[in-house]
Amino acid sequence: MQLPSVLLENAVNEFARLPGIGKKTALRLVLHLLKQDATDVQQFGAAITKMRTEIKFCRRCHNVADTDLCTICASASRKQNMICVVESLRDVIAIETTQQYNGIYHVLGGVISPLDGIGPDQLNIEPFLQRVQKEQPEEIIFALNPTIQGDTTIYYIQKKLTPAVVRITTIARGIAFGGELEYADEMTLARSLANRLPVENYVANR
Amino acid sequence: MQVQNRPHLLHLNSISLLQFKNYLQSDFQFRQRIVGISGKNGIGKTNLLDAIYYCCFTKSYFTKSDAQNVSDGKQGFRLEGNFHLNNTPQAVTCVLRETGKKELALNQELYVKFSDHIGKFPCIMIAPDDVQIITGGSEERRQFLDTLLSQIDHDYLLQLIHYNKVLLQRNALLKSFAESRRVDENLLQVLNEQLARPGAVLFEKRRVFLQEFIVLVRKFYQQISGENYPVHLEYISQLHSSSFKELFDSFHEKDLALQRTGGGVHRDDIAISLGNASFKAIASQGQRKSMLFALKLSAFEVLKNRNGFSPILLLDDIFEKLDETRMDNLLNWVCRENNGQIFITDTHPERIHQHLGNFNSVQFIVLS
Repeated sequence: MQLPSVLLENAVNEFARLPGIGKKTALRLVLHLLKQDATDVQQFGAAITKMRTEIKFCRRCHNVADTDLCTICASASRKQNMICVVESLRDVIAIETTQQYNGIYHVLGGVISPLDGIGPDQLNIEPFLQRVQKEQPEEIIFALNPTIQGDTTIYYIQKKLTPAVVRITTIARGIAFGGELEYADEMTLARSLANRLPVENYVANR
Repeated sequence: MQVQNRPHLLHLNSISLLQFKNYLQSDFQFRQRIVGISGKNGIGKTNLLDAIYYCCFTKSYFTKSDAQNVSDGKQGFRLEGNFHLNNTPQAVTCVLRETGKKELALNQELYVKFSDHIGKFPCIMIAPDDVQIITGGSEERRQFLDTLLSQIDHDYLLQLIHYNKVLLQRNALLKSFAESRRVDENLLQVLNEQLARPGAVLFEKRRVFLQEFIVLVRKFYQQISGENYPVHLEYISQLHSSSFKELFDSFHEKDLALQRTGGGVHRDDIAISLGNASFKAIASQGQRKSMLFALKLSAFEVLKNRNGFSPILLLDDIFEKLDETRMDNLLNWVCRENNGQIFITDTHPERIHQHLGNFNSVQFIVLS
């Protein structure tokens, strides 16, 4: 792509580094910014810079935070003795959106996958074990993806936790809500049958 | 197109090939149950059979990578097989996009997981190089066994995929131990347990299946070869004598040193013996071929009993393989005693006419 200005080209290249943004989209975004008031663009740039330099990660759960402690950890209305272990910030947001969970979190920053070169040391597992030691929570809920790597991570942490922790659970796996049995794969269906629920629980929770 | 006299339940009516191997664009109609395909060497007889196989298995019987299935100088290919299954038309479409992305659709509906397709259109190929199953390493025999079991037991396929994924992770972990010079016993322990679960299922399924399958193979071998030598087949697995836990313990040091997993069902084998000696060491060419056909026809029989209809049989260049009497015995069995669709290739049109002429519902295709 031939651009008439080096400044323009630099800006386009930076945008094109973002996920899902190609050269053409990058150019469209940059040209859009060029049409805006200089102060507006200043604000745009400043917001991003400020976000990156000033954002903190909660020292307790590794969620994003504006202060040392994130809003969830700091909230008095949250159950402080129930920790939900998730892979990433996105999972925190997803679970928060359900408005069904009233405990606190721990963000691992990934799952164990030797194939991708990710071992326990690359994740927030050691801080988590120390945290559990210190806080003595009543329940730990694993909300990790139902993959081999997710399972590896759960078993690994669980081995390190026992016998200290009272209750370790994982989110239910089975037929998706609104899903159809005939389209569920065998493994999911088999798991749903093996871990079936008493009807009174099911109806009450719906 | 209406096919006359079709008591068999699985039938391929037509196939279209676009940029698949040496076919730039071709369509074939199969009106009969028995299809004899002849043509010179290199004309594409085997490739046509492979295209049929591809529609059933979402992969080539011969090549490892999909890029090798594309016509020279082209990008991407497309296959469309129009089947009849229980009198319902079923269109299987396989597309390899220019980007290398593969798509598979049944009646225009895209599959999310290709593994769901395996077993829906059962099919058996017998090709000249298949004698590797007998003379080659244990991998060939495991692959034969896995392909067959995956078609009759979908859970087997899922467990196998799961096992292989965990195995890759475990081997990668062993490598990372060697690089960092540190061993995380806890993590290794976790992966051992994750590997043992699907592994135990695979072992049990193979054990139960092979008990009956081995009897069947011996029966077919005596029929085809017409001899009464004591042929034995045996399921070999480390799991016969030790549990997964014991295996991992005993291979512990070795695994760490070699950076791969020494114990498990990925080391299984089927040992074939003649008298007290290994079959592949002393069997003649003819005996090897008889054994190959015995294995393949047993697989055919298993699929037929399981599905209630015969799988499609693809016989590539088999006239070169067997002598006249064995050939006629075999053709009689596959063409008369079974009612599945059969595709046979040969270089000589006369020879194929002569062998298939006695049967009803035969169609000849000459490639040129």
